[in-house]
Amino acid sequence: MFSNKFNIWFLSSLLISLLVIIPILTVSLSFFEDTSRYFDILKKTFLFEYIINSLSLLVGVLILTFFLGVGSAYVVSFYKFPGVNFFKWALILSFAIPPYIYAYSLFAFFDNYGTAFTILKTLFGDGEYNKNIPKFDGMFGLILSISFSLYAYVYILARSSFLYQSQNLIDLGRNLGFSKFKSFYSIILPAARPAIVAGLSLVAMETLAEFGAVDFFSVNTLTTGIYNAWITFDDLAFANRISFFLLLFIFILFLTENLSRKKAKYHLDTKGGFKQKEKIKLSGTNSFFAFLFCFLLFFLSFLFPLGQMLYWTIKFPENFFDINIINLLLNTLYLVGLSSLVLIIFALISNYGNRVSRNKTLNFLSTLSISGYAIPGVILAVAFITFIAWFDENIIKSLGFLSIKKLFIGSILGLVIVYFVRFYSLAFNGIKSGYEKINVSVDESAYLLGYSKRKTFMNIHVPYLRNSLLFVVILISLEIIRELPITLVLRPFNFETFATTAYISASEDMLEAAAVPSLFLILIAAFFIAITSNYILKENNG
Amino acid sequence: MGIMKKIVNTALIICLFVSTFSLANEVNIFNARHYKADAELYSKFTASTGIKVNLINGKAGALEKRMIEEGVDSAADLYITADAGRCGAFKSKGMTQSGLVSSTIKSSVPKSFRTTHWVGVAKRARIVYYSPERVSGAELSGLTYESLADPKWKGRIAIRASSNIYNKSLVASLVKNNGKKAAGEWAKGVVANMARDPKGNDRAQIMAVAAGEADIAVANTYYLALMLSGNKGPEQQEAAKKVKAFFPNQNDRGTHMNISCAALVKGAPNKANAIALVDFLLSPEAQEHFTNNTFEFPMIAGVSPSSLVVNNLGLDFKQDLTTSVSSYGAKQADALEVMTAAGWK
Repeated sequence: MFSNKFNIWFLSSLLISLLVIIPILTVSLSFFEDTSRYFDILKKTFLFEYIINSLSLLVGVLILTFFLGVGSAYVVSFYKFPGVNFFKWALILSFAIPPYIYAYSLFAFFDNYGTAFTILKTLFGDGEYNKNIPKFDGMFGLILSISFSLYAYVYILARSSFLYQSQNLIDLGRNLGFSKFKSFYSIILPAARPAIVAGLSLVAMETLAEFGAVDFFSVNTLTTGIYNAWITFDDLAFANRISFFLLLFIFILFLTENLSRKKAKYHLDTKGGFKQKEKIKLSGTNSFFAFLFCFLLFFLSFLFPLGQMLYWTIKFPENFFDINIINLLLNTLYLVGLSSLVLIIFALISNYGNRVSRNKTLNFLSTLSISGYAIPGVILAVAFITFIAWFDENIIKSLGFLSIKKLFIGSILGLVIVYFVRFYSLAFNGIKSGYEKINVSVDESAYLLGYSKRKTFMNIHVPYLRNSLLFVVILISLEIIRELPITLVLRPFNFETFATTAYISASEDMLEAAAVPSLFLILIAAFFIAITSNYILKENNG
Repeated sequence: MGIMKKIVNTALIICLFVSTFSLANEVNIFNARHYKADAELYSKFTASTGIKVNLINGKAGALEKRMIEEGVDSAADLYITADAGRCGAFKSKGMTQSGLVSSTIKSSVPKSFRTTHWVGVAKRARIVYYSPERVSGAELSGLTYESLADPKWKGRIAIRASSNIYNKSLVASLVKNNGKKAAGEWAKGVVANMARDPKGNDRAQIMAVAAGEADIAVANTYYLALMLSGNKGPEQQEAAKKVKAFFPNQNDRGTHMNISCAALVKGAPNKANAIALVDFLLSPEAQEHFTNNTFEFPMIAGVSPSSLVVNNLGLDFKQDLTTSVSSYGAKQADALEVMTAAGWK
């Protein structure tokens, strides 16, 4: 019994959980440390504003992503109109645009003497256009940037839920004489609620963790507060205190998401009686409006930022030759490859362990170990450095060993570890959802046939999980290609990625120079999405 | 599974090896100045001395944090950044060491722009830009930083956020000269005079004046030259022509000056190479490179600023040489406090 409990699965799960719990503990323990005067100043002036801003941002983004995501998913799932098969996958291309690049594009287009000014001037000659061009910046610009970049989470999950809704349910509405809107509002939408909530929770977590775009538009949110407390006032304790509240907040969202997923699964279990849904063919104006909606969404979320970055790359060609594109590409791919590999291996082991041992402690540890995704990258990086510095001073050096700081801080190893903590849930949940589709009876049959556990894993599970694995690799890759704060803080000497190059240019008054790395980032991410879009859509079809 | 593990192990070993591998003759720079001109200079330095320059680029705050956490184990030799406020604050955290001394440094850098811990390698002034159409000579006459709080500028000033280091240093100089209380009142006055909530970079402030959003803006000298150079496109060139530069405080202590600085990091493993690099940055060749590419003022005598700067901003202005730039770091926390308290976003 003892040996059964402390097997390899248990140990690896324990290790992963420890890794994730370190930053959470570091943040929590600092909660009670003394804070400097920053807290007083903050309390007197901006704390309220920070909270209001964080909430406004969250609410704004959730409302917008709800309408964009659910609206587009509804239209492409239930109707036939010109281009629907194209939009079905084209709408997920928006994943290739990180919120900060969207923010650069909005600013570049609408700001004084920006692209909009140039267009007006080219069309109508000289004029005082600047005053009449709307300015999409500050909070409003931020909400737009994040929403257009993240609505695809809602789109993908809502669409897969819509696809699974039984035709009977829809026929019911029709038989009751419901209008299209009433069917949607009172039947389709409630049935898809768990999937939509799950999508919105992901959006909410990403919004609260967003660093680049918030920083670019200088909106004061709790994240800004954390960063300022840490960087400017040297007040790690207070930074950690704000982080703690933010974490609590995120944890609630996280639970909501997990619960919704469980319910979503319930709804997906349509065994038998599954009838191929008939799409309603739209004609005339309705068809035109459906097309227009999807096209506008595709244009605004993908073509617009792509176009702006392309335009600047062409307009300022010297920037093209200033960066070593091959080098940035290799660095980016190196991080993506290494991290995906490590994440996938551990997520597989852990999932398999959960499956074979069905140990409650193990399950708890697994749940714990996926909470890293909820921790904003800035906090994670800070906590990691704090911990390594502490561990090095108090344990390693006092035991007479050489410092291990260089091994972890400013090294690929450190980067991969923190990526691991941040993105482990993507790998774990992705593989878990794949595993849930393999009935446990399959394993039992395999054992009866004399398969070893290992053989069952390699010959049965892995092939079954192929699509899930691919989906997970793409998700991780997209996250790492776009990732900013962790890479910024922890990367080694002479090591840049497209994301860091773009961010540094943008933050140092050289926004034009951010266009080239941004453009390449978009193209690579879009390429990743394009080659696997079938899998992404299929995976979420079931 | 076995193969996968092998791959991972090999990959981990390789990356560990790469990340800890180091060349003997090198200098490690934590670099918060991201002008492509700088990178070209470092290549020249390597070509002439054989010393390899390792760079880690980043925003100043994050780089400083990393050096602090790495402590004595940090590989950092030099911290190069814009703004004396950053070098000063970094020094007051005990993160720099004395010994950044050489005959070149002594002979070419004026005393108010260096300490033994850090040295200014290029200069800039933070000045006022105005719209000649909407601001009269009489209004401008005798303008000081202090008088930006005058109610006559209500709704007319464009200036960056309080988190911006250039503003922190400017306000720190006001704290140093007029005291914290007066600086606090001043900050309230400026906030009341803002034409819009602070947003964007220095160029965006200048463009706000060109576009008619504000009548005057506060920004550094080299940005106007940069815009006029056409490197940022014909639109910005056009915008730059619509504004004029004004150097404040000409009748008293002079215009607020700042520097780009290089600080010698505590525990620097390649100290001699670091000093050699600073000497190189102060050579006429490097100084000319700065002035022609970043449009800053040269630190050493005998090198002329870019003609764009000379023709459009002028050179015969009184620099504030009495307020040591080292006070920007010392008064930085006070500066941020008064701005925050005044509601300066």
